[in-house]
Amino acid sequence: MAERTVAVAAQAGLHARPAKLFVQAAMKLGVPVKIRVGSGKEVPANSMLGVLSLGAVQGTEVTLSAADGPDGEAALDALAALLARDLDAADA
Amino acid sequence: MREVLEARAVHLHEKAATREEAVARCGEVLVEIGAVAAPYVEAMLERERSISTYVGEGVAIPHGMSKEHVLRDAICVLRFPGGIDWDGEPVTLCIGIAAKGDGHVALLAELAEILLDPDRARTLREAPDVEAVMKELT
Repeated sequence: MAERTVAVAAQAGLHARPAKLFVQAAMKLGVPVKIRVGSGKEVPANSMLGVLSLGAVQGTEVTLSAADGPDGEAALDALAALLARDLDAADA
Repeated sequence: MREVLEARAVHLHEKAATREEAVARCGEVLVEIGAVAAPYVEAMLERERSISTYVGEGVAIPHGMSKEHVLRDAICVLRFPGGIDWDGEPVTLCIGIAAKGDGHVALLAELAEILLDPDRARTLREAPDVEAVMKELT
């Protein structure tokens, strides 16, 4: 299992608009990715309710995981980069 | 969630022709119970236009971004038995949210946790009376 741990950069945390943009990006990947906080419950990255249930605020470290292999690695890189950006910014 | 939901903020027999009407109704109820000032309703509509607040399971969570109009943290629960076309998704339950500061993140997490359980989500969508909703959410 490939993993990336990244701190949520969005000022508003991972909810509402930032969460929606993240979930939409995860849906487009076509590779199943999961997300969790610490050692908490894993939820599918493409589930809005799942992502909201994490309660991640700005600075919360979340861990993304996907199957090993180039597709999984690329998906993790894309989603980790998204989380590291301020998704609240108008141009995000 | 017990401290943010009161029985008079639960309405089970609402009607709305459009998503905008439904969001406005949620806003009106939040104004009625003294949780927000009137301009918050427009902020909710604006937020909804910028990105849909549909979260899945037939539920939308309208809220505004103008925290200065929030008088106290509260939620309202409005059910639309006839359903509303929410940008292509059928919605029967709207949970309007008013929150200052970061309070809404924990609140949303708690709500999401409930809705992730299909049985509890169904109970909410089909609750026969206000008491049943209160019991599920508080």
